[in-house]
Amino acid sequence: MIEAIIADRLTKHYGATMAVDTLQLHVRQGEFFGFLGPNGAGKTTTIRMLTGVVNPDEGNILINNFSIKDKSNIARTIGVLPESRGFYDWLTGAEYLDFFARLYGITERDSVAVLLERVGLTAQRKKKISAYSRGMRQRLGLARALINKPSILFLDEPTLGLDPRGQQDVQNLLRSLNQDGMTIFYSSHLLNEVSELCSRIAILDKGKIVAEGTLNELRQQADRQAGTLTDIFLTLTHA
Amino acid sequence: MPSIFNLIWSKEIREGLYTWKGLVWLVIASILFSFTSYLLLTNKELSLLDQAELLWLLSKIILVVALLIVTIDASMVIATEFEKETAESLFLAPLSIRDFILGKFLASFTLWLALFIVAVPYMLATSAGSHLAPAFLGYVLLLGSLGVIGFIFFIFALSLLYRSSKSTLTTSLMLLLAFTAPALFSSTLKTATVATTISKINPIDNIFSSLDNVLVDFQTTLSQNWQFLFPLIVFCLVTFVFLSFSISVFRRQGIIRNE
Amino acid sequence: MKYLCATVIVLSVSAGVFLPHATNAGSTPPLELTILSSRTLSGTAGEYVTVEGQVKNTGQVTLNDITTYLSLVDQENKLPVDLEDWSAEKGLHFDTIAPGQSLSLIWKIHFIKAGSYSLIIVATAAGSEVPQVSPITHFQVAIKHNLNPGNILPVAFGTPFGVAFLLSLLGYKRRKEVEA
Repeated sequence: MIEAIIADRLTKHYGATMAVDTLQLHVRQGEFFGFLGPNGAGKTTTIRMLTGVVNPDEGNILINNFSIKDKSNIARTIGVLPESRGFYDWLTGAEYLDFFARLYGITERDSVAVLLERVGLTAQRKKKISAYSRGMRQRLGLARALINKPSILFLDEPTLGLDPRGQQDVQNLLRSLNQDGMTIFYSSHLLNEVSELCSRIAILDKGKIVAEGTLNELRQQADRQAGTLTDIFLTLTHA
Repeated sequence: MPSIFNLIWSKEIREGLYTWKGLVWLVIASILFSFTSYLLLTNKELSLLDQAELLWLLSKIILVVALLIVTIDASMVIATEFEKETAESLFLAPLSIRDFILGKFLASFTLWLALFIVAVPYMLATSAGSHLAPAFLGYVLLLGSLGVIGFIFFIFALSLLYRSSKSTLTTSLMLLLAFTAPALFSSTLKTATVATTISKINPIDNIFSSLDNVLVDFQTTLSQNWQFLFPLIVFCLVTFVFLSFSISVFRRQGIIRNE
Repeated sequence: MKYLCATVIVLSVSAGVFLPHATNAGSTPPLELTILSSRTLSGTAGEYVTVEGQVKNTGQVTLNDITTYLSLVDQENKLPVDLEDWSAEKGLHFDTIAPGQSLSLIWKIHFIKAGSYSLIIVATAAGSEVPQVSPITHFQVAIKHNLNPGNILPVAFGTPFGVAFLLSLLGYKRRKEVEA
C-alpha cells in the first residue's frame, strides 16, 4: 500500500528545548490516523513540519511521494486545519472561501456553496466572519481545508469549540471523506473521539512517539488487557 | 485564471476600501492638501511667494504626506498577517513568498497612486497659468514613485524580520524622520563634508533638490536631474537587496518562527 | 588793534569758504527732503507702490557722500518696521549734490501687511553727525479680502468631499452585500 505520509528522523528544537526528537512516522493512504499527546508533547510542531509551515532541523518528509521542499505540489494535495485560527474578519464566509478557492485555482462556480452546505454554514454565508461564533469559525476553517479536495487532510483539534451536535456533524463528515479515500491525520485531545474515528493512533510524549498502532496494539504496548484509550494514554505518557 | 499575486493585490485593495482603511487616508490627505494649497495661494496673492516657490512647497508637502501614509500602511500590511495568525492558512495554499510580496507591494504602491490622484486637482489649480504643470505633475509622480518603492522595500524587509507591526512601524518612522529632518535644512547649513555626503545619498534630500531644480530653476529634462535620480535608483536597489536578504531569512525560519 | 581784528575776520571768512565741513559738524546737512507721492501711497496688502521723493541742497556748498533711506513705523503697534520684505532698495546714495541741485528719489515698496503706517525719508551727508529728515507721511494699507485665492476653493472643498462621498458609496455598497 502506498504511504501518504512518511516522516524519517524528524527533529526540531527551539533553543535548548527538543520539541520533536527523531520522530518516525508512516501513514498509509486512506488511513484515519490519530495523533495524540499531552500538552507540549510536540503535536502541533510535528503537524507544522509535515505541512511545511515549520522547517525541521533534521530529517526528511515525503507527502504523497513529494519531498516537503516541493511546497507547491504538496500545497495542492493537502488540506490543513491548523492550530492558529486567524481569519480575515472583514470578509463574509463565502468571500473568504472564494478567495482561497481562487488561490488554489478552483473555478467551479458552486464549489464554495457546496462546501458551505457540507459544514453547515449556508445560512451564515453572507455574514462577516467578525460576527461568527467560535464554532462557526471552526467550521469555516474546515471548509477552507477542504476547498481543494485534498487527498490528505491534517486536522489540529477540529471539533474544538463545537457543541455536541456540531461535533457529531463534523465526525460524520470526516467519516464520509475517509470512506471516499481521503487520508486523515487527526490530532485531538478528545480521546473518545479519536478512539471512535481513527483506525490507527500514535501517542507522542516529549517529542517522541511512545506507542503506535490500532487500539488493541496500543493496549499490548501499554501492558493492559483492557481499558479505554484514556487509560492507555495515561499509562504510556505518565500523565 | 488570475495570477496569484493579483489575488493578494485585489484582496488588499478591497480591504482598504471596505474597511475604510485606505479611504480614510485619502480623506485626511485631501484635507491637508486643501489647507496647504489655500494657505500657499493666499500668500501668493500677497506676492509673498512666486508661483515656482509655491509649487515647490506644495510638492514637498504632497510627497512627505504620501511617504508618511505609505510608511504607516506598509508597516502593517505584512506584519498583521502574522499577528492575526492568518499567515499560516495563507502559506498553506500554493502561494509563494514572491507572489505574497509582489501582491502586497502592488497594494501599497496603489495607495501612493491614489494619493497622487487626490493631489492632482491641487497641483493643477496651483500651477494654473504657468508652463510648469506638466513638469510639476510628472516629477512629483516620478520622484514620489522612486521614494515610495524604496521605502516599501525597506519596510517589507523589516516586516519579514520583525513580524511585528509595532516594531516595523517604529523603525520605519524613525528612518523617515532621519531622512526628512536634514532635508529641511537650507543649503547653507549643509556645506560641511559630512553634511554634503549625507545630502547626496539621502533620498528625501534628492527628491527635494530635484523639485527645486525643476520648479525653481526650470531644469525639467531627465538628464538635467540625473544627479538626483541616480541616488534614488540606488536607494531602491539597496533596499531591494535588503528585502531579498529578508526573504531568504524568512524561508530559512519558516512561516512559524517560534513557539 | 584794528590790524588784528581785520586778520581775525579774514581768517574766519577763509575758514568758512575753505573748510565747509567744519561749519556743518554737529548740525544737520542743509538738505530739504520731500515725499512727493504722499497723497497716493495708500493701497492694499500685496500691492507694489512707488515712493517718489526729492532731495535738494539748500546750502551754499556742495555736499558729499549723501545717503538717503526710508524709515517706516507701524502706527498700530508702535513699532518700527523691518523693511527687508517691504523694499528691495535699502538706501540711495549720491556722491555729491551741488548747492541748489535737486535729485529724485524712487523706492518701490511691497505692502506686506495691512495697517496704519508713517513714513519719512532720512538723509545723511559727509561731515554732518545729525541726519536730516523729511516731513512725516501717513498712509494706510488695507486688508486684501480674497476668500478664493487662485480659485482654489472648489478644489479645496470639492476634493475631500468627493473622496468622502466615494467612501460613503462604498460603505453603502458593502452594507448591501453583507448581512447584519
